[in-house]
Amino acid sequence: MPGPTDDYVRVMPAADVAEEEIYAFEVDGELRVLTRVGDEIFACDGICTHEYAELSEGEIEDHVIYCPLHGSGFDLRTGAVTSLPAVTPLPIYDVKIVDGEVYVSRTPRDEGEA
Amino acid sequence: MSRRPAYVILGAGVAGHFAADALRQAGFDGQVLLIGAEPVRPYDRPALSKGILQGTKEPQAIIFQPEAFYREREIDLVLGRAAVEIDPAARRVVLDSGKSVSYDRLLIATGAAPIRPRLPGIDLPGVHVLRSLADAEALRAGLLAAERVLVIGAGFVGSEVAASARTLGRDVTLLDLLPAPMSRALGPELAAVYAELHRAHGVDLRMGRGVVELRGRDRVEEAVLDDGTLLACDLVVLGVGVRPAVDLAMAAGLDVDDGILVDEHCATNASGVYAAGDVATWWHPTLGRRIRVEHFDNAGEQGAAAGRAMAGQPEPYAPVPSFWTDQYDTTLQYYGYPVPWDQVVLRGDAAAFSVTAFYLAEGRIVAAAMLNRPKEHRSARRLVAAGAAVDPAVLADPDTDLRALSRQFAAG
Repeated sequence: MPGPTDDYVRVMPAADVAEEEIYAFEVDGELRVLTRVGDEIFACDGICTHEYAELSEGEIEDHVIYCPLHGSGFDLRTGAVTSLPAVTPLPIYDVKIVDGEVYVSRTPRDEGEA
Repeated sequence: MSRRPAYVILGAGVAGHFAADALRQAGFDGQVLLIGAEPVRPYDRPALSKGILQGTKEPQAIIFQPEAFYREREIDLVLGRAAVEIDPAARRVVLDSGKSVSYDRLLIATGAAPIRPRLPGIDLPGVHVLRSLADAEALRAGLLAAERVLVIGAGFVGSEVAASARTLGRDVTLLDLLPAPMSRALGPELAAVYAELHRAHGVDLRMGRGVVELRGRDRVEEAVLDDGTLLACDLVVLGVGVRPAVDLAMAAGLDVDDGILVDEHCATNASGVYAAGDVATWWHPTLGRRIRVEHFDNAGEQGAAAGRAMAGQPEPYAPVPSFWTDQYDTTLQYYGYPVPWDQVVLRGDAAAFSVTAFYLAEGRIVAAAMLNRPKEHRSARRLVAAGAAVDPAVLADPDTDLRALSRQFAAG
């Protein structure tokens, strides 16, 4: 199992992640976002797969993140498209909490992995 | 001896693509034939009037899926071919190649074609329509060479083309018989905001005006307006609406009223024949009436619904219709039913092009349009889905927390 500091990046204190708020951060120059649904924190790419739009400007409803531009929806748990117009899934990143801090994997979860 | 059933989809546009995909996702393992008149694989049609015209997107980038996607799913793509006859009794379609194709189930997803008004000079070179990728590439080439562009019709396509032409730096006149851009769909209040937006970007708006003639020697050079004004132009775009492609269906004896009539499972009156997308006039079970919708979201979702119904997993298709339009640096998202409203409530700052419009019928929200207000999309959608009755003053109040308000109503 990878340690929290090599393959994961520290983002923010878990306690600061409010329900349904979307927080943008950068990893290696790429935009990512994280959000909380209930007790769980999710992280995904920060740009919609349909057209360029920053998902931090979008919304969360249930377990879906919605693009602010055209309303494409992606399941935060799998990255699967839940509403058009996107047709390409959104990369999802594993999250873990260590000492109250949110760590997000540098690399996306493999497609099809639960 | 059993033969694999063959399901044929006529029209490889948005509805056709998502129908084929849904057939496989629903587990149908017979033959799937996706037949399209255009010579390209299914693509993201809304990008034509924006990214393709402006040159910010290459045609290849708007194609939904690579060839392998269809190959892996055993979806046989037949491109560059249109049907010339549908024979529901014999369960076959005849293609323009002369080939006859038998089907066990058929989906008609032939979309719609741009209306070309009967106008003197309409066939002059330099007069464009915009529906297909080929149309868009021809129009882009024309726009790059043009100086003065006249867009006839300020609906969604006309307004987006006008914005793209301005973005390319062309002189643009946008003309419509209606009082403001997209006023039929958006209502006068929000349409007025779009009139300001186009003016602010330097478009010469001629609202409440028609064109009676196009003139030119070898190509279009000027338009004669209905008040006698002569307008110089070297490129004209017709954006006066589309007509659903129902001719084959009518000849085949299918019930047609505007579009091909289908029930909430996308089924026509002919056994084994379905229709979806722009071409279908469908029974909306929640609304209790028939509607036809000419937008991407419906084409994709209804195509998928038709695919599932054909595969034996019918579910009533009863969405809150939605669409978007992008013009200049603005985006508008619309959720709602195409039904009459009697009151429009604006929320936000119209002068800053940041405004949400709620459409009410007898005190209930039937639609909402969000111009540059992305954080209000889902709340507005919930209010529309619930048919919420909300005090207009509360809706307009900038201090109202729409998210909290919308959650008081059972979401649909």
